[in-house]
Amino acid sequence: MGAYMSEKKYTKDHEWVSIENEIATIGISNHAQESLGDIVFIELPSVGNSVKAKEEICVVESVKAASDIYAPIDGEIIEVNNNLENDAAIINQDAENEGWIFKMKISDSNQYSELMSEDEYKQFLEQ
Amino acid sequence: MPFAGFNMPINYKTGIINEHKNVRNHSGIFDVSHMGQILIENNESYLHKLEKYIPLQLKKLIKNRSHYSFLLNKDGGVIDDLIISNIDIKDKSYLYIVYNASRKKEDEEIFISCAHNAEKIYNKNCLFAIQGPDSINVLKNIIEIPNNMNFFDILISKYNNNEIIVSRSGYTGEDGFELSIPNEIAENLITNLLKNENTMLCGLGSRDSLRLEAGLSLYGHELNEKITPIEAGLSWALDKERLEDENLNGNKVLSDQLKNKLSNKKIGLISTSKSMLRDGMTLFDNNNNEIGKITSGCFSPNLKKSIAIGYIISEFNTDNPIFCEIRKKLELVKINNLPFVKKNYKKNGSIYE
Repeated sequence: MGAYMSEKKYTKDHEWVSIENEIATIGISNHAQESLGDIVFIELPSVGNSVKAKEEICVVESVKAASDIYAPIDGEIIEVNNNLENDAAIINQDAENEGWIFKMKISDSNQYSELMSEDEYKQFLEQ
Repeated sequence: MPFAGFNMPINYKTGIINEHKNVRNHSGIFDVSHMGQILIENNESYLHKLEKYIPLQLKKLIKNRSHYSFLLNKDGGVIDDLIISNIDIKDKSYLYIVYNASRKKEDEEIFISCAHNAEKIYNKNCLFAIQGPDSINVLKNIIEIPNNMNFFDILISKYNNNEIIVSRSGYTGEDGFELSIPNEIAENLITNLLKNENTMLCGLGSRDSLRLEAGLSLYGHELNEKITPIEAGLSWALDKERLEDENLNGNKVLSDQLKNKLSNKKIGLISTSKSMLRDGMTLFDNNNNEIGKITSGCFSPNLKKSIAIGYIISEFNTDNPIFCEIRKKLELVKINNLPFVKKNYKKNGSIYE
């Protein structure tokens, strides 16, 4: 999907974030998808909720375990990926594109700059 | 994943669900070498001592048959569940017992106290299970399997001039075999089996979802020292004559339980939403009273919903709704008869001679 113009950034909790026009798109990283294994269910966040960075906002359930997803930055949830309701396995197939989970209007773009770049995330995973 | 002191794969390349489906539709191979395997000479004094713990008439076990049974403590609680077989190896008659890795210490203390020369063989023999409807064809290509071999039959077969113990058994609800293979030839044999495109290596994840769909109990979940086989819904595996025998641990408790009402009952549950039911979750009635707990839960690839096994208090009328607490919310769950998926065994024979 070419719509994501900004550099993709990552959190220590294995979410990815990309930003276009102050709208952030968020999902879980390919690494997270691989370690969770087959994802069978996602409880999507509620549109309209205002959330703070590091707040738990939804849950992915894989055959192995339930795993919380945290808001990477402050903002308001404005859209969720409804395709995942019927087929959460899209995250396994394409975690960092079609498997996006929610979009948020962000309040503080400095928080975004503080996240890890792709290279930094790769190094983080190797630690 | 660390499991009973072993580093075990939850799944291989293609993931738990794919491995699970491959076993139900074709076949899959599980490395269960972590499990205990022991040989006990078929000698009357040993068998008598073992009968204190094992609720079967060990002296009457038919040759070349296996049985699901238990080691029982003084209160009739389950020290372990196991498979016990009567088999000749190199012209000598043995009981061959396969037991849980997590219970090796407790079990072996008992085995050795009953038979001082009991021989643990898991350091020299690997244990593999091949499970699923195609298992027979995959296995027949490389090992001789008699056509009349039934579920829970056991025999000695040969591979590259080495003796292997082959039992038609497993813990997935499917037809299949367990193979006790000398270490030296194990890799060669399994590599040979894997050349067949109808089979693949499977990990602990699918082993758990397969046994749960089949409604089979797992030690540490449905079974422990505080639960008797009767409370676990496994009274079929007890020899009722042995319950009258003072020499059997917990015989009074067990025969009383058979006659009277139990305090808890084992049930199967199925999720009505997409949430996953997991071990340890609490169950409630519609007045918010706690009525039980889930002991195992997983995603069922066959039913495409989460399924679980748990215990609830016997007084609870199962026509009433049951709720499960999932992440601080109460969700409706439905009772489902066990097993969730019909077992597909090759017909059974009798127990005794």
